[in-house]
Amino acid sequence: MSTTSARSHGHLGRRPAALAATALSVSAALVLAACSGGADAAKPSGSSTPQAGGTLTWGVETEPTTLNPQLNGQDKTKLLLRNSYEQLLARQDDGTYVPWLATAYKVSDDELTYTFTLRDDVTFWDGEKLDAAAVVTNLEQVLNPKYNPYGAAGPLSHLKSAKATDARTVTLVLKEKYAPFLDYVGSLALISPKSYAKADVQAGGPDVAGTGPFVLTKYVKGQELDFTKNKDYDWAPATAKHQGAAYLDALTYRFLPESSVRLGALQSGQVDVVEGVPGTQAAQFQKDDRFTYQTALNTGTPYSLYFNTLQSPTSDAKVREAFRDAVDLDAVLKSVYAGQRTRAWSAVSPADPSFYDKSLEGTYGNDKDAANKLLDEAGWTGRDSEGYRTKDGKRLTITDYQSQPYVRDQRDTLLQAIQAQVKQNAGIDFDVQVVDSGVSDEHRAKNDYGTYDNSNTNPDGVDIEYHWLPADKGGFINLSNVTDPQLTTWLTAAQQTTDTAKRAEQYDALQQYVISEKAYSFPLYEPEDEIAASSTVHGVGFRTYYKLPESAYDVWLSK
Amino acid sequence: MTSATLLPSAGDAAAAAREAAPAVPGARGRAWAPTAAAVGRRLVGAVVVLWASVTVAFVALQLAPGSAIDALVPPTQRTPEAVAAVTAEWGLDRPVVQQYVDYLGRLLHGDLGTSYQLHRPVTDVIVSELGPTLQLAAAGLAVALVLAVVLAVSTAGRPWASRIANGVELTIVSVPEFWLGIVLLFVFSFSLGWFPVAGANGLASLVLPAVALGLGLVGLVSQVLREGVERSLEQPYTLSVRARGVSETALRVRHSLRHASLPVVTLLGWLVGGLLGGVIIVEQVFGRPGIGSVALQAAQGRDLPVVLGVALLSALVYVVVNTVVDLLALVIDPRLRTGARA
Repeated sequence: MSTTSARSHGHLGRRPAALAATALSVSAALVLAACSGGADAAKPSGSSTPQAGGTLTWGVETEPTTLNPQLNGQDKTKLLLRNSYEQLLARQDDGTYVPWLATAYKVSDDELTYTFTLRDDVTFWDGEKLDAAAVVTNLEQVLNPKYNPYGAAGPLSHLKSAKATDARTVTLVLKEKYAPFLDYVGSLALISPKSYAKADVQAGGPDVAGTGPFVLTKYVKGQELDFTKNKDYDWAPATAKHQGAAYLDALTYRFLPESSVRLGALQSGQVDVVEGVPGTQAAQFQKDDRFTYQTALNTGTPYSLYFNTLQSPTSDAKVREAFRDAVDLDAVLKSVYAGQRTRAWSAVSPADPSFYDKSLEGTYGNDKDAANKLLDEAGWTGRDSEGYRTKDGKRLTITDYQSQPYVRDQRDTLLQAIQAQVKQNAGIDFDVQVVDSGVSDEHRAKNDYGTYDNSNTNPDGVDIEYHWLPADKGGFINLSNVTDPQLTTWLTAAQQTTDTAKRAEQYDALQQYVISEKAYSFPLYEPEDEIAASSTVHGVGFRTYYKLPESAYDVWLSK
Repeated sequence: MTSATLLPSAGDAAAAAREAAPAVPGARGRAWAPTAAAVGRRLVGAVVVLWASVTVAFVALQLAPGSAIDALVPPTQRTPEAVAAVTAEWGLDRPVVQQYVDYLGRLLHGDLGTSYQLHRPVTDVIVSELGPTLQLAAAGLAVALVLAVVLAVSTAGRPWASRIANGVELTIVSVPEFWLGIVLLFVFSFSLGWFPVAGANGLASLVLPAVALGLGLVGLVSQVLREGVERSLEQPYTLSVRARGVSETALRVRHSLRHASLPVVTLLGWLVGGLLGGVIIVEQVFGRPGIGSVALQAAQGRDLPVVLGVALLSALVYVVVNTVVDLLALVIDPRLRTGARA
């Protein structure tokens, strides 16, 4: 029964007005029942029952620039911070929201007023109580430019007022409808109001108290981050696999940026878990019984090439299409990643079942003859001494400035493999230059590039807005420089409804247009996260819906 | 260890005589003024070096492509409002010259500013990261010097041993520290399990990084040292020492090494440069905290205050090392001391 009531929110798409008006009042006890039935175990980790105790060491690739969860924008460090900092709502795999620090929420019929009811038993480690006033303080501070210069420009720019109606009720009023608001507010990590007065609040650390199952106790920059169990913890989200305090007594994350060092540390038993396993090294963990290995595709937009429509030759649709047709992408991915990566077809990750456009699969690419025909039509009929196509004596060159700090997961090798293919198959000079981030930024600012490579993990359509709205209307990474009003029409329509099916219609139309029809972008592969662990480690996995590695709350060790 | 064996073995009588010279009554008063002038010159020189290095780093960062705002504001938050807020927060709307002058002004008060990325005072960041880096650099230098002395003293003047040592040294010099670090980890940490993979937790965790860092420097030092020892073994005084019946080892360690160590001391400035470059790579490979990883992150993120802080620190190290080198040269070669009184 309880499962039905919690899941009924998933039907949001069908009767939006009715559901938006329906309060989702699920008591903590009911949530417990719901979660035990609906939990999605990433990998069965043995038949034995969980045991409490022990210390876990986890080797991670990326060190947080700040430990303050509200100021940290690095997806790769979320797994660390989620041990200590929590949020109002959790999202299930199907995108629906379930209680966490809020037991219920309500959206008014006009979708302008959001009301959250809080649990009354939650405290921060510094002893402060999580009440409505604490939540309002958090929202106010995130909008305070002295604390967070980006706050006023983010999704909270749509917020008109935030009030603590009573000790357990927070009422938020928006200036206009904004569908992604619930995701943002529901997932804002909360810190204790006292923490804002600390001198090092922006750097974060043990001084910034959270409500999470682990207390952040020590940070050694460049080396490790340590946590100990929060013994009083008893407010896990409905998406967790258990309730009550965490199993582990203590937890250490070691920063090991070199993948070979990280994997060697796992194999020699110096760490128990690692994240970040290169495709070429995955097989050794898959085949070995002493380890478990799991992956999850990221949400958001796949790693794609965006053709610059403001500059020749990529301003010509025929050239863009020819480029895609000249590449046998399946073969390229297989050779670069040893078959360990998933090809992308759409502007949205397959990890997002609502907005992924499956109908695009197999509709383009790997057609050498078509590529050559298109380029002939476009007038690139000459050939120079190196075999590249030319027009009016000018070589068919498309330049990509790959930003060095963002080159990961062998993406330099991937682009080089594509470079070889387009040369061989169609005489295109794909000039891949790995450059300093400043150089890359400068080319971007001047719109001086052929293609720009990028991936982005924002879920729930936010990624699509970033890529396809005009640059001055929220299209922060509109890398194709497309200002087609049709795109804005679709995106605005999708933004102003919380009806998932209606939003999906708009996004599907957009994806068909930008990928199939206009060839503005060329999706390459879907980035993923990998976790390899010793077989004595149980319960590691990925977050529901967001698909990033989860905190260590459900993790336990067998002897 | 090296300096400890060197110092008590004050060599020939002539040097001892000159060493005693400053104690001659009357000489003292005259010697004082020039020394003060020398110290003053050194201090002024030091300030000039510090100022120049900060200025060069500042100009270089201004000339580098891209802007600090690009690095500071994530692309998906780059609204005009956010850009304006960040620009105002760090005072990047001031003219560059004024930013430079303001920076120097704060520097005079000992304020290095606040890191754009880490939101912490630069002084705090550097002070907290300095310890592990100094440990690593000192240990790396010790490894380099000890190995170089052993190699040079034991092989100098012995054609076959020399040739083999030479080959080994050249091989090690040409291996990148990055690769050396990974190989050391695979053998001694992952396979044999003798040392922990990384971090700065006690002596055991210092061994592999120090060896990786030190090995890169051994080659050059031992080559210079060997040549010096060989040259001194050809000197007439060697013959007289041998005639006194001193053993070959004692001759090499107590006499030849002292002569050979002067060029090595002058190399120390270069060595420290090599150490500073090396720690960046070694800290990264071994996951150690330290200035190297801070510098790398700051350079990538155009974190101007941290980059300038690290530049200042490097210049300071350079000044200190060069002063120490000059003083050491006086200790090792008494003949140089006469110059101070001229």
